[in-house]
Amino acid sequence: MDGILSGVFALMGHLLPFPFAEPAFMKRALLGLLLVAPAAAAIGVPLVQHRMAFFSDAIGHSAFTGVALGLILGISPSWTVVVFGAVVAVAIVLVRGRTGLSPDTVTGVFFSAVVALGIAIISRERGLTRNLQAFLYGDPLAVTDAELAWMAALLLLVSAWLALFYNRILLLGIHEGFARTKGVPVRAVEISFALVVALVVTAAIRAVGILLVTALLVIPAASARNVARAAAPALWISVGVALLSGVSGIVASWYLDTATGATVVLAAACCFAFTALYRAARPEG
Amino acid sequence: MKETGHLHTLSIRNLTVRKGGAAILEGVDADIRCGEVTALVGPNGAGKTTLLQAILGQVPYTGEIRFCRAREHGEGEPRIGYVPQHLPLDRDAPVTVLDFFALTSQRRPVFLGSSRKSREAAQESLSRAGMGHLLRRPLGRLSGGELQRVLFALALRDDPDILLLDEPVSGVDVAGEELFCDFLSQVHRSSRFSLLLVSHDLSVVTRHADQVICLNRRIVCRGATTEVLTPENLAAMYGSGAHLFRHSHADGHGHIHEPGD
Repeated sequence: MDGILSGVFALMGHLLPFPFAEPAFMKRALLGLLLVAPAAAAIGVPLVQHRMAFFSDAIGHSAFTGVALGLILGISPSWTVVVFGAVVAVAIVLVRGRTGLSPDTVTGVFFSAVVALGIAIISRERGLTRNLQAFLYGDPLAVTDAELAWMAALLLLVSAWLALFYNRILLLGIHEGFARTKGVPVRAVEISFALVVALVVTAAIRAVGILLVTALLVIPAASARNVARAAAPALWISVGVALLSGVSGIVASWYLDTATGATVVLAAACCFAFTALYRAARPEG
Repeated sequence: MKETGHLHTLSIRNLTVRKGGAAILEGVDADIRCGEVTALVGPNGAGKTTLLQAILGQVPYTGEIRFCRAREHGEGEPRIGYVPQHLPLDRDAPVTVLDFFALTSQRRPVFLGSSRKSREAAQESLSRAGMGHLLRRPLGRLSGGELQRVLFALALRDDPDILLLDEPVSGVDVAGEELFCDFLSQVHRSSRFSLLLVSHDLSVVTRHADQVICLNRRIVCRGATTEVLTPENLAAMYGSGAHLFRHSHADGHGHIHEPGD
Protein backbone atom coordinates (compact mmCIF):
# COMPACT_ATOMS: atom_id res chain seq x y z
CA MET A 1 0.00 0.00 0.00
CA ASP A 2 2.72 2.48 1.05
CA GLY A 3 4.84 1.21 -1.81
CA ILE A 4 2.12 1.88 -4.37
CA LEU A 5 1.47 5.35 -3.03
CA SER A 6 5.14 6.36 -2.96
CA GLY A 7 5.46 5.03 -6.50
CA VAL A 8 2.49 7.12 -7.59
CA PHE A 9 3.91 10.20 -5.89
CA ALA A 10 7.31 9.69 -7.55
CA LEU A 11 5.57 9.40 -10.93
CA MET A 12 3.60 12.59 -10.22
CA GLY A 13 6.89 14.33 -9.35
CA HIS A 14 8.23 13.42 -12.82
CA LEU A 15 5.06 14.38 -14.67
CA LEU A 16 4.56 17.64 -12.81
CA PRO A 17 7.93 19.33 -12.38
CA PHE A 18 6.30 22.49 -11.02
CA PRO A 19 6.68 24.22 -7.67
CA PHE A 20 3.04 23.64 -6.72
CA ALA A 21 3.43 19.88 -7.04
CA GLU A 22 6.56 19.65 -4.88
CA PRO A 23 5.13 19.31 -1.36
CA ALA A 24 3.79 15.87 -0.47
CA PHE A 25 0.50 17.35 0.75
CA MET A 26 -0.09 18.87 -2.69
CA LYS A 27 0.56 15.52 -4.39
CA ARG A 28 -1.91 13.91 -2.00
CA ALA A 29 -4.50 16.60 -2.63
CA LEU A 30 -4.10 16.29 -6.38
CA LEU A 31 -4.34 12.50 -6.28
CA GLY A 32 -7.38 12.67 -4.01
CA LEU A 33 -9.19 15.01 -6.37
CA LEU A 34 -8.23 12.98 -9.43
CA LEU A 35 -9.83 9.97 -7.75
CA VAL A 36 -12.94 11.46 -6.21
CA ALA A 37 -13.90 14.17 -8.72
CA PRO A 38 -14.41 11.86 -11.75
CA ALA A 39 -16.40 9.40 -9.62
CA ALA A 40 -18.62 12.24 -8.41
CA ALA A 41 -18.99 13.67 -11.92
CA ALA A 42 -19.94 10.32 -13.44
CA ILE A 43 -22.53 9.55 -10.78
CA GLY A 44 -23.71 13.15 -11.17
CA VAL A 45 -25.03 12.45 -14.69
CA PRO A 46 -27.88 10.15 -13.58
CA LEU A 47 -28.26 12.28 -10.42
CA VAL A 48 -29.05 15.35 -12.54
CA GLN A 49 -31.27 13.32 -14.86
CA HIS A 50 -33.30 12.15 -11.86
CA ARG A 51 -33.39 15.70 -10.41
CA MET A 52 -31.75 14.56 -7.21
CA ALA A 53 -29.36 17.45 -6.50
CA PHE A 54 -31.24 18.14 -3.28
CA PHE A 55 -30.89 14.48 -2.31
CA SER A 56 -27.12 14.66 -2.54
CA ASP A 57 -27.21 17.87 -0.47
CA ALA A 58 -29.22 16.06 2.20
CA ILE A 59 -26.68 13.23 2.32
CA GLY A 60 -23.89 15.82 2.52
CA HIS A 61 -25.52 17.51 5.48
CA SER A 62 -26.11 14.17 7.20
CA ALA A 63 -22.33 14.20 7.72
CA PHE A 64 -22.89 16.71 10.55
CA THR A 65 -24.75 14.06 12.44
CA GLY A 66 -22.39 11.34 11.26
CA VAL A 67 -19.43 13.18 12.79
CA ALA A 68 -21.30 13.95 15.99
CA LEU A 69 -22.37 10.30 16.38
CA GLY A 70 -18.83 9.09 15.80
CA LEU A 71 -17.42 11.42 18.43
CA ILE A 72 -19.94 10.55 21.13
CA LEU A 73 -19.72 6.81 20.35
CA GLY A 74 -15.94 6.91 20.28
CA ILE A 75 -15.73 5.59 16.71
CA SER A 76 -13.71 7.34 14.00
CA PRO A 77 -16.02 9.93 12.38
CA SER A 78 -14.69 8.91 8.94
CA TRP A 79 -16.63 5.67 9.36
CA THR A 80 -19.77 6.96 11.02
CA VAL A 81 -20.17 9.62 8.33
CA VAL A 82 -20.18 6.94 5.61
CA VAL A 83 -22.49 4.55 7.45
CA PHE A 84 -24.91 7.27 8.58
CA GLY A 85 -24.98 8.79 5.08
CA ALA A 86 -25.85 5.40 3.60
CA VAL A 87 -28.59 4.82 6.16
CA VAL A 88 -30.16 8.22 5.46
CA ALA A 89 -29.95 7.65 1.69
CA VAL A 90 -31.76 4.31 1.87
CA ALA A 91 -34.32 5.70 4.32
CA ILE A 92 -35.17 8.54 1.93
CA VAL A 93 -35.64 6.14 -0.99
CA LEU A 94 -37.82 3.77 1.04
CA VAL A 95 -40.07 6.54 2.39
CA ARG A 96 -40.21 8.26 -1.01
CA GLY A 97 -41.63 5.11 -2.59
CA ARG A 98 -44.36 4.77 0.03
CA THR A 99 -45.92 8.22 0.19
CA GLY A 100 -47.72 10.40 -2.28
CA LEU A 101 -45.44 13.29 -1.37
CA SER A 102 -43.03 14.71 -3.92
CA PRO A 103 -39.44 13.43 -3.72
CA ASP A 104 -38.27 16.94 -2.83
CA THR A 105 -40.62 17.14 0.13
CA VAL A 106 -39.52 13.78 1.53
CA THR A 107 -35.87 14.72 1.07
CA GLY A 108 -36.52 18.08 2.76
CA VAL A 109 -38.02 16.40 5.81
CA PHE A 110 -35.02 14.08 6.18
CA PHE A 111 -32.59 16.92 5.51
CA SER A 112 -34.00 19.02 8.36
CA ALA A 113 -34.48 16.16 10.79
CA VAL A 114 -30.95 14.88 10.30
CA VAL A 115 -29.29 18.30 10.59
CA ALA A 116 -31.38 19.06 13.68
CA LEU A 117 -30.24 15.81 15.28
CA GLY A 118 -26.63 16.70 14.53
CA ILE A 119 -26.98 20.19 16.01
CA ALA A 120 -28.74 18.79 19.09
CA ILE A 121 -25.89 16.35 19.76
CA ILE A 122 -23.19 18.95 19.12
CA SER A 123 -24.86 21.50 21.38
CA ARG A 124 -24.82 19.01 24.28
CA GLU A 125 -21.22 17.95 23.80
CA ARG A 126 -19.16 21.12 23.85
CA GLY A 127 -15.80 20.79 22.21
CA LEU A 128 -17.13 18.92 19.16
CA THR A 129 -17.29 22.07 17.07
CA ARG A 130 -13.57 22.05 16.35
CA ASN A 131 -13.79 18.56 14.86
CA LEU A 132 -16.59 19.66 12.56
CA GLN A 133 -14.52 22.36 10.83
CA ALA A 134 -12.66 19.83 8.68
CA PHE A 135 -15.96 18.38 7.47
CA LEU A 136 -17.74 21.68 6.98
CA TYR A 137 -15.19 23.20 4.64
CA GLY A 138 -13.22 20.10 3.67
CA ASP A 139 -9.50 20.12 3.12
CA PRO A 140 -7.92 18.09 0.36
CA LEU A 141 -4.52 19.17 1.68
CA ALA A 142 -5.14 17.10 4.82
CA VAL A 143 -6.18 13.89 3.05
CA THR A 144 -4.51 10.85 4.63
CA ASP A 145 -3.08 7.82 2.85
CA ALA A 146 -5.93 5.67 4.17
CA GLU A 147 -8.44 8.09 2.72
CA LEU A 148 -6.65 8.00 -0.63
CA ALA A 149 -6.93 4.21 -0.61
CA TRP A 150 -10.66 4.48 0.15
CA MET A 151 -11.11 6.98 -2.69
CA ALA A 152 -9.33 4.64 -5.11
CA ALA A 153 -11.53 1.74 -4.01
CA LEU A 154 -14.56 3.96 -4.41
CA LEU A 155 -13.60 4.93 -7.95
CA LEU A 156 -13.47 1.22 -8.81
CA LEU A 157 -16.80 0.60 -7.11
CA VAL A 158 -18.46 3.50 -8.95
CA SER A 159 -17.07 2.26 -12.27
CA ALA A 160 -18.43 -1.21 -11.59
CA TRP A 161 -21.83 0.15 -10.59
CA LEU A 162 -21.99 2.30 -13.72
CA ALA A 163 -21.05 -0.66 -15.91
CA LEU A 164 -23.85 -2.75 -14.42
CA PHE A 165 -26.60 -0.20 -13.86
CA TYR A 166 -26.05 2.82 -16.10
CA ASN A 167 -28.50 1.69 -18.79
CA ARG A 168 -31.14 0.86 -16.22
CA ILE A 169 -30.87 4.07 -14.20
CA LEU A 170 -31.04 6.09 -17.43
CA LEU A 171 -34.10 4.20 -18.66
CA LEU A 172 -35.71 4.63 -15.26
CA GLY A 173 -35.15 8.38 -15.56
CA ILE A 174 -36.93 8.45 -18.91
CA HIS A 175 -40.11 6.62 -17.86
CA GLU A 176 -40.57 4.44 -14.80
CA GLY A 177 -43.51 2.40 -16.11
CA PHE A 178 -41.74 1.82 -19.38
CA ALA A 179 -38.55 0.80 -17.57
CA ARG A 180 -40.55 -1.74 -15.56
CA THR A 181 -41.87 -3.34 -18.72
CA LYS A 182 -38.26 -3.70 -19.86
CA GLY A 183 -37.50 -5.67 -16.71
CA VAL A 184 -35.73 -2.95 -14.73
CA PRO A 185 -35.95 -3.86 -11.02
CA VAL A 186 -36.91 -0.32 -10.08
CA ARG A 187 -36.58 -0.43 -6.31
CA ALA A 188 -33.28 -2.32 -6.36
CA VAL A 189 -31.78 0.10 -8.87
CA GLU A 190 -32.98 3.11 -6.85
CA ILE A 191 -31.58 1.78 -3.58
CA SER A 192 -28.23 0.82 -5.05
CA PHE A 193 -28.01 4.23 -6.72
CA ALA A 194 -28.78 5.98 -3.42
CA LEU A 195 -26.04 3.94 -1.72
CA VAL A 196 -23.46 4.78 -4.38
CA VAL A 197 -24.39 8.47 -4.16
CA ALA A 198 -24.02 8.31 -0.37
CA LEU A 199 -20.54 6.72 -0.63
CA VAL A 200 -19.38 9.26 -3.22
CA VAL A 201 -20.80 12.23 -1.31
CA THR A 202 -19.24 11.21 2.00
CA ALA A 203 -15.86 10.69 0.31
CA ALA A 204 -16.06 13.97 -1.59
CA ILE A 205 -16.74 15.81 1.68
CA ARG A 206 -13.06 15.29 2.52
CA ALA A 207 -12.14 17.30 -0.54
CA VAL A 208 -14.64 20.15 -0.66
CA GLY A 209 -16.63 19.97 2.57
CA ILE A 210 -20.29 19.57 3.45
CA LEU A 211 -21.27 22.97 2.09
CA LEU A 212 -19.87 22.43 -1.39
CA VAL A 213 -20.08 18.68 -1.91
CA THR A 214 -23.15 18.76 -4.16
CA ALA A 215 -21.23 21.00 -6.55
CA LEU A 216 -18.80 18.17 -7.31
CA LEU A 217 -21.68 15.96 -8.48
CA VAL A 218 -23.94 18.51 -10.08
CA ILE A 219 -21.78 21.12 -11.85
CA PRO A 220 -19.84 18.77 -14.18
CA ALA A 221 -23.02 16.91 -15.14
CA ALA A 222 -24.87 20.19 -15.71
CA SER A 223 -22.02 21.47 -17.88
CA ALA A 224 -22.13 18.25 -19.90
CA ARG A 225 -25.87 18.70 -20.49
CA ASN A 226 -25.16 22.12 -21.98
CA VAL A 227 -22.99 20.53 -24.63
CA ALA A 228 -23.83 16.84 -25.11
CA ARG A 229 -26.74 15.55 -27.14
CA ALA A 230 -26.15 11.82 -26.66
CA ALA A 231 -25.64 9.61 -23.63
CA ALA A 232 -21.99 8.64 -24.17
CA PRO A 233 -20.59 12.18 -24.60
CA ALA A 234 -22.66 13.35 -21.62
CA LEU A 235 -20.78 11.08 -19.25
CA TRP A 236 -17.31 11.68 -20.69
CA ILE A 237 -17.70 15.46 -20.84
CA SER A 238 -18.84 15.43 -17.22
CA VAL A 239 -15.76 13.44 -16.20
CA GLY A 240 -13.57 15.74 -18.32
CA VAL A 241 -14.97 18.84 -16.63
CA ALA A 242 -14.31 17.26 -13.23
CA LEU A 243 -10.68 16.45 -14.06
CA LEU A 244 -10.06 19.85 -15.62
CA SER A 245 -11.59 21.79 -12.73
CA GLY A 246 -9.93 19.52 -10.15
CA VAL A 247 -6.44 20.13 -11.51
CA SER A 248 -6.87 23.78 -12.44
CA GLY A 249 -8.58 24.52 -9.11
CA ILE A 250 -5.81 22.99 -7.08
CA VAL A 251 -3.11 24.80 -9.07
CA ALA A 252 -4.97 28.12 -8.84
CA SER A 253 -5.43 27.72 -5.08
CA TRP A 254 -1.66 27.32 -4.69
CA TYR A 255 -0.89 30.56 -6.48
CA LEU A 256 -3.88 32.54 -5.19
CA ASP A 257 -3.50 31.20 -1.67
CA THR A 258 -7.23 30.38 -1.45
CA ALA A 259 -9.07 27.41 0.08
CA THR A 260 -8.46 24.44 -2.23
CA GLY A 261 -11.94 22.88 -2.19
CA ALA A 262 -13.66 26.20 -2.87
CA THR A 263 -11.25 27.02 -5.71
CA VAL A 264 -11.95 23.68 -7.35
CA VAL A 265 -15.68 24.36 -7.22
CA LEU A 266 -15.13 27.84 -8.68
CA ALA A 267 -13.16 26.31 -11.54
CA ALA A 268 -16.06 23.91 -12.18
CA ALA A 269 -18.49 26.84 -12.13
CA CYS A 270 -16.33 28.55 -14.80
CA CYS A 271 -16.63 25.40 -16.95
CA PHE A 272 -20.39 25.58 -16.51
CA ALA A 273 -20.41 29.25 -17.58
CA PHE A 274 -18.37 28.48 -20.71
CA THR A 275 -20.60 25.58 -21.72
CA ALA A 276 -23.71 27.69 -21.11
CA LEU A 277 -22.32 30.39 -23.41
CA TYR A 278 -21.49 27.77 -26.03
CA ARG A 279 -25.01 26.45 -25.82
CA ALA A 280 -26.52 29.93 -26.20
CA ALA A 281 -24.34 30.57 -29.25
CA ARG A 282 -25.11 27.23 -30.93
CA PRO A 283 -27.33 27.85 -33.96
CA GLU A 284 -30.27 25.50 -33.43
CA GLY A 285 -30.11 25.80 -29.63
CA MET B 1 -61.96 -11.16 -41.05
CA LYS B 2 -58.40 -12.35 -40.60
CA GLU B 3 -57.25 -15.73 -41.87
CA THR B 4 -54.83 -16.36 -39.03
CA GLY B 5 -56.48 -18.52 -36.41
CA HIS B 6 -56.42 -17.52 -32.79
CA LEU B 7 -52.92 -18.62 -31.98
CA HIS B 8 -52.92 -17.15 -28.55
CA THR B 9 -55.20 -15.29 -26.23
CA LEU B 10 -54.76 -13.09 -23.24
CA SER B 11 -57.63 -14.08 -21.05
CA ILE B 12 -58.69 -11.90 -18.15
CA ARG B 13 -61.09 -13.32 -15.60
CA ASN B 14 -62.77 -11.55 -12.72
CA LEU B 15 -60.02 -8.95 -12.49
CA THR B 16 -60.33 -6.54 -9.57
CA VAL B 17 -57.91 -3.77 -8.68
CA ARG B 18 -58.27 -1.75 -5.48
CA LYS B 19 -56.43 1.36 -4.45
CA GLY B 20 -56.90 2.68 -0.94
CA GLY B 21 -60.04 0.60 -0.40
CA ALA B 22 -61.87 1.83 -3.51
CA ALA B 23 -62.30 -0.52 -6.45
CA ILE B 24 -60.82 0.93 -9.61
CA LEU B 25 -61.64 -2.17 -11.61
CA GLU B 26 -64.20 -4.74 -10.59
CA GLY B 27 -64.90 -8.18 -12.00
CA VAL B 28 -63.45 -7.51 -15.42
CA ASP B 29 -63.57 -10.37 -17.95
CA ALA B 30 -62.01 -10.03 -21.37
CA ASP B 31 -60.26 -12.01 -24.09
CA ILE B 32 -57.67 -10.31 -26.22
CA ARG B 33 -56.99 -12.48 -29.20
CA CYS B 34 -54.02 -12.74 -31.47
CA GLY B 35 -54.41 -11.03 -34.80
CA GLU B 36 -57.21 -8.81 -33.59
CA VAL B 37 -57.30 -5.19 -32.64
CA THR B 38 -59.12 -4.76 -29.37
CA ALA B 39 -60.03 -1.25 -28.39
CA LEU B 40 -60.52 -0.24 -24.81
CA VAL B 41 -62.81 2.76 -24.48
CA GLY B 42 -64.35 4.51 -21.53
CA PRO B 43 -64.55 7.89 -19.81
CA ASN B 44 -61.75 9.41 -17.76
CA GLY B 45 -61.19 7.51 -14.54
CA ALA B 46 -62.77 4.37 -15.97
CA GLY B 47 -59.66 2.35 -15.16
CA LYS B 48 -58.29 1.94 -18.69
CA THR B 49 -54.70 2.69 -17.77
CA THR B 50 -55.07 0.59 -14.61
CA LEU B 51 -56.11 -2.38 -16.74
CA LEU B 52 -52.95 -1.96 -18.81
CA GLN B 53 -50.90 -1.76 -15.62
CA ALA B 54 -52.49 -4.95 -14.34
CA ILE B 55 -51.62 -6.75 -17.60
CA LEU B 56 -48.07 -5.42 -17.24
CA GLY B 57 -47.98 -6.68 -13.66
CA GLN B 58 -47.40 -3.22 -12.26
CA VAL B 59 -50.35 -3.07 -9.88
CA PRO B 60 -51.54 -5.75 -7.45
CA TYR B 61 -54.84 -7.34 -8.47
CA THR B 62 -57.12 -10.22 -7.69
CA GLY B 63 -58.58 -12.46 -10.35
CA GLU B 64 -56.70 -14.01 -13.21
CA ILE B 65 -54.72 -12.78 -16.19
CA ARG B 66 -53.59 -15.74 -18.21
CA PHE B 67 -51.73 -15.96 -21.44
CA CYS B 68 -52.76 -18.99 -23.47
CA ARG B 69 -50.18 -19.69 -26.07
CA ALA B 70 -50.55 -21.99 -29.05
CA ARG B 71 -47.70 -24.45 -29.27
CA GLU B 72 -46.46 -23.25 -32.66
CA HIS B 73 -45.98 -19.77 -31.26
CA GLY B 74 -43.08 -20.46 -28.93
CA GLU B 75 -43.01 -21.00 -25.21
CA GLY B 76 -42.68 -19.20 -21.93
CA GLU B 77 -43.81 -15.82 -20.72
CA PRO B 78 -45.40 -13.57 -23.31
CA ARG B 79 -43.40 -10.64 -24.56
CA ILE B 80 -45.44 -7.54 -23.90
CA GLY B 81 -44.76 -4.39 -25.86
CA TYR B 82 -45.95 -1.21 -24.23
CA VAL B 83 -46.26 2.26 -25.66
CA PRO B 84 -46.97 4.65 -22.80
CA GLN B 85 -49.39 7.52 -23.14
CA HIS B 86 -47.00 10.26 -22.17
CA LEU B 87 -43.27 10.25 -22.17
CA PRO B 88 -42.63 13.30 -20.02
CA LEU B 89 -39.82 14.55 -22.15
CA ASP B 90 -36.97 16.42 -20.70
CA ARG B 91 -36.08 18.53 -23.73
CA ASP B 92 -32.44 18.85 -22.78
CA ALA B 93 -31.77 15.25 -21.83
CA PRO B 94 -28.67 14.02 -23.63
CA VAL B 95 -30.35 10.85 -24.87
CA THR B 96 -30.75 10.15 -28.58
CA VAL B 97 -33.20 7.80 -30.25
CA LEU B 98 -30.30 5.38 -30.74
CA ASP B 99 -29.41 5.61 -27.04
CA PHE B 100 -33.02 4.83 -26.19
CA PHE B 101 -32.94 1.71 -28.34
CA ALA B 102 -29.53 0.70 -27.00
CA LEU B 103 -30.62 1.19 -23.37
CA THR B 104 -33.29 -1.45 -23.82
CA SER B 105 -31.33 -4.00 -25.81
CA GLN B 106 -27.67 -4.13 -24.90
CA ARG B 107 -25.79 -5.15 -21.82
CA ARG B 108 -22.88 -2.83 -22.57
CA PRO B 109 -23.35 0.51 -20.78
CA VAL B 110 -24.29 3.14 -23.33
CA PHE B 111 -21.44 5.42 -22.31
CA LEU B 112 -19.15 2.91 -24.01
CA GLY B 113 -21.16 3.30 -27.21
CA SER B 114 -23.93 1.29 -28.80
CA SER B 115 -23.30 -2.28 -29.90
CA ARG B 116 -23.49 -2.99 -33.59
CA LYS B 117 -26.37 -5.38 -32.99
CA SER B 118 -28.50 -2.83 -31.17
CA ARG B 119 -27.66 -0.16 -33.76
CA GLU B 120 -28.75 -2.40 -36.63
CA ALA B 121 -31.92 -3.49 -34.89
CA ALA B 122 -32.75 0.15 -34.15
CA GLN B 123 -32.12 1.24 -37.72
CA GLU B 124 -34.20 -1.60 -39.10
CA SER B 125 -37.28 -1.11 -36.97
CA LEU B 126 -37.12 2.69 -37.26
CA SER B 127 -36.94 2.39 -41.05
CA ARG B 128 -39.93 0.09 -40.97
CA ALA B 129 -41.84 2.84 -39.18
CA GLY B 130 -40.57 5.40 -41.69
CA MET B 131 -38.48 7.07 -39.02
CA GLY B 132 -35.00 5.90 -40.00
CA HIS B 133 -33.71 9.47 -40.24
CA LEU B 134 -34.32 10.04 -36.52
CA LEU B 135 -31.65 7.60 -35.27
CA ARG B 136 -29.24 10.27 -34.04
CA ARG B 137 -31.83 12.83 -32.99
CA PRO B 138 -32.12 13.64 -29.27
CA LEU B 139 -35.38 12.28 -27.85
CA GLY B 140 -36.32 15.72 -26.52
CA ARG B 141 -36.34 17.19 -30.03
CA LEU B 142 -38.96 14.86 -31.47
CA SER B 143 -42.45 16.04 -32.27
CA GLY B 144 -45.39 14.25 -30.66
CA GLY B 145 -46.02 12.21 -33.79
CA GLU B 146 -42.36 11.31 -34.26
CA LEU B 147 -42.06 10.21 -30.66
CA GLN B 148 -45.16 8.05 -31.03
CA ARG B 149 -43.67 6.27 -34.01
CA VAL B 150 -40.29 5.86 -32.32
CA LEU B 151 -41.94 4.27 -29.28
CA PHE B 152 -43.95 2.05 -31.57
CA ALA B 153 -40.84 1.03 -33.52
CA LEU B 154 -39.13 0.20 -30.24
CA ALA B 155 -42.06 -1.97 -29.16
CA LEU B 156 -42.04 -3.82 -32.49
CA ARG B 157 -38.30 -4.43 -32.41
CA ASP B 158 -38.76 -6.96 -29.62
CA ASP B 159 -41.38 -8.93 -31.57
CA PRO B 160 -44.13 -8.73 -28.97
CA ASP B 161 -46.90 -11.27 -28.44
CA ILE B 162 -49.10 -8.54 -27.04
CA LEU B 163 -48.84 -4.87 -27.80
CA LEU B 164 -50.44 -2.36 -25.46
CA LEU B 165 -50.94 1.15 -26.83
CA ASP B 166 -52.11 3.77 -24.37
CA GLU B 167 -53.80 6.63 -26.24
CA PRO B 168 -51.58 6.27 -29.28
CA VAL B 169 -52.95 9.32 -31.07
CA SER B 170 -53.17 11.80 -28.21
CA GLY B 171 -51.03 14.83 -28.89
CA VAL B 172 -50.86 14.08 -32.60
CA ASP B 173 -52.65 16.14 -35.24
CA VAL B 174 -55.27 14.61 -37.54
CA ALA B 175 -52.85 14.01 -40.42
CA GLY B 176 -50.39 12.36 -38.04
CA GLU B 177 -53.19 10.27 -36.62
CA GLU B 178 -54.19 8.99 -40.06
CA LEU B 179 -50.58 8.12 -40.87
CA PHE B 180 -50.16 6.35 -37.59
CA CYS B 181 -53.35 4.32 -37.92
CA ASP B 182 -52.56 3.30 -41.48
CA PHE B 183 -49.11 2.24 -40.43
CA LEU B 184 -50.53 0.38 -37.47
CA SER B 185 -52.93 -1.68 -39.51
CA GLN B 186 -50.28 -2.39 -42.12
CA VAL B 187 -47.85 -3.70 -39.50
CA HIS B 188 -50.54 -5.52 -37.67
CA ARG B 189 -51.66 -7.37 -40.77
CA SER B 190 -48.17 -8.74 -41.34
CA SER B 191 -47.53 -9.73 -37.71
CA ARG B 192 -49.49 -11.81 -35.28
CA PHE B 193 -49.47 -9.91 -32.04
CA SER B 194 -52.60 -9.12 -30.09
CA LEU B 195 -53.16 -5.43 -30.00
CA LEU B 196 -54.90 -3.67 -27.17
CA LEU B 197 -55.52 -0.06 -27.89
CA VAL B 198 -56.73 2.48 -25.36
CA SER B 199 -58.37 5.37 -27.09
CA HIS B 200 -60.68 8.27 -26.52
CA ASP B 201 -61.02 8.72 -30.22
CA LEU B 202 -63.93 6.67 -31.48
CA SER B 203 -63.03 7.41 -35.09
CA VAL B 204 -59.87 5.40 -34.61
CA VAL B 205 -61.83 2.72 -32.82
CA THR B 206 -64.61 2.38 -35.39
CA ARG B 207 -62.16 2.26 -38.27
CA HIS B 208 -59.49 -0.02 -36.86
CA ALA B 209 -60.75 -2.16 -34.03
CA ASP B 210 -62.26 -5.61 -34.47
CA GLN B 211 -63.43 -5.81 -30.92
CA VAL B 212 -64.37 -3.14 -28.42
CA ILE B 213 -64.38 -3.30 -24.66
CA CYS B 214 -66.34 -0.51 -23.01
CA LEU B 215 -65.05 0.01 -19.53
CA ASN B 216 -66.32 2.05 -16.65
CA ARG B 217 -64.79 0.37 -13.60
CA ARG B 218 -66.54 -2.77 -14.80
CA ILE B 219 -67.23 -4.00 -18.27
CA VAL B 220 -70.17 -2.04 -19.66
CA CYS B 221 -70.24 -4.11 -22.81
CA ARG B 222 -67.90 -5.86 -25.19
CA GLY B 223 -68.11 -7.42 -28.60
CA ALA B 224 -67.62 -6.65 -32.27
CA THR B 225 -67.12 -2.94 -32.90
CA THR B 226 -70.22 -2.46 -35.00
CA GLU B 227 -72.47 -4.14 -32.47
CA VAL B 228 -71.10 -2.45 -29.40
CA LEU B 229 -70.90 1.23 -30.24
CA THR B 230 -74.63 1.84 -30.04
CA PRO B 231 -76.22 4.98 -28.57
CA GLU B 232 -77.54 2.98 -25.59
CA ASN B 233 -74.11 1.62 -24.69
CA LEU B 234 -72.44 4.99 -25.14
CA ALA B 235 -75.03 6.54 -22.87
CA ALA B 236 -74.45 3.86 -20.24
CA MET B 237 -70.77 4.60 -20.34
CA TYR B 238 -70.50 8.34 -20.74
CA GLY B 239 -73.89 9.58 -19.43
CA SER B 240 -77.21 10.11 -21.13
CA GLY B 241 -76.22 13.15 -23.21
CA ALA B 242 -73.42 11.37 -25.05
CA HIS B 243 -73.72 10.36 -28.66
CA LEU B 244 -71.39 9.44 -31.47
CA PHE B 245 -71.03 12.73 -33.24
CA ARG B 246 -70.20 12.53 -36.89
CA HIS B 247 -68.30 15.53 -38.17
CA SER B 248 -68.64 16.56 -41.77
CA HIS B 249 -65.44 14.75 -42.75
CA ALA B 250 -66.02 12.59 -45.82
CA ASP B 251 -64.61 9.64 -43.93
CA GLY B 252 -67.08 10.01 -41.09
CA HIS B 253 -64.80 10.98 -38.28
CA GLY B 254 -66.54 10.12 -35.04
CA HIS B 255 -65.84 11.60 -31.64
CA ILE B 256 -67.59 11.15 -28.37
CA HIS B 257 -69.08 14.34 -27.05
CA GLU B 258 -69.76 14.08 -23.38
CA PRO B 259 -72.54 16.08 -21.72
CA GLY B 260 -71.19 19.51 -20.97
CA ASP B 261 -68.72 19.44 -23.88
